[in-house]
Amino acid sequence: MPERNSEGFLEKPEHWYPEIAEFIAREDGISLSENHWEIIKFLRDFYRDYQVSPPSNRLFVKAVRERFGEDKGNSIYLMQLFPGTPAKTACRIAGLPRPTNCL
Amino acid sequence: MPDRTLHILNKPPEHYRHHLCLEAIGPEDGLVFIENGVLAVVQLPTSAPDRWYALAPDLEARGLIGQIGEDRVISFDDMVELTATAGKVISW
Amino acid sequence: MSTLIIIDQPPYGSWEGREALDMAFSLAAFDQPVTLMFCGAGVNWLRKGQNAGKVGQKSVERNLAAAPIFGVEALLACTEACNRYGLTQTDLLDGVTVTAVGPELTSRYDHVTFAG
Repeated sequence: MPERNSEGFLEKPEHWYPEIAEFIAREDGISLSENHWEIIKFLRDFYRDYQVSPPSNRLFVKAVRERFGEDKGNSIYLMQLFPGTPAKTACRIAGLPRPTNCL
Repeated sequence: MPDRTLHILNKPPEHYRHHLCLEAIGPEDGLVFIENGVLAVVQLPTSAPDRWYALAPDLEARGLIGQIGEDRVISFDDMVELTATAGKVISW
Repeated sequence: MSTLIIIDQPPYGSWEGREALDMAFSLAAFDQPVTLMFCGAGVNWLRKGQNAGKVGQKSVERNLAAAPIFGVEALLACTEACNRYGLTQTDLLDGVTVTAVGPELTSRYDHVTFAG
């Protein structure tokens, strides 16, 4: 298991692999479906391209909406997939740094 | 009077933002030099608008109070008044 | 209420520019119209081909590329500063508009604010 910080985020996003996602998701009581993987893959690509996690939950929702449209780019959908603060939960599972503006 | 922009400039003449402020200023705008910005009064830039002022305590602190006409020297209260009546304020 | 945020500090030397970027993203998050303008040494944010890993930082070039996705309306670069730093349109990030600083520009925004 790669190194993680006190909130469970990977110290280095490049150390992520899919089994890690399964493991972290289980800690949150989430069993990963195709819909989860779609968002996780989106976040991995997002981080590769922009070197930043979506900084807040609103911007996470906005970025998902840009990519997948209103059906998936809304907070209810994302909250159902990634309970709690969706941006935080999803970034943790996807091995990305903690969104800077999420409490 | 309303809708005019008031520019508040606290950077010395060599500072890039001092230059930028003078670029962005319109002829109808107001300009107030404060803090190190007051050093500009020694050699006023040609691009300064007609309505320019400098803050008294900052001039006095730097020994510059005698360098400019009294009508250009303003108090804190005057600056508040200018700020309150301006359409928009930009603090450079 | 539209906001123009001016970044006139070079990248990597200080955190002020990144704070301004954060401010821009936060405004965009709440659907407030925001434009980023790069002036002076700040235009170096926009140069293609940055490898910030060499100084242990994230690339501001990459970070900035996310601006349109988050809803930042425009990225502007000061003509004079681009000339000064040898930046032509092809050297700049995609989607950057080169424009002169002047009263016409600042009058288009309700707020004009700075990094640091």
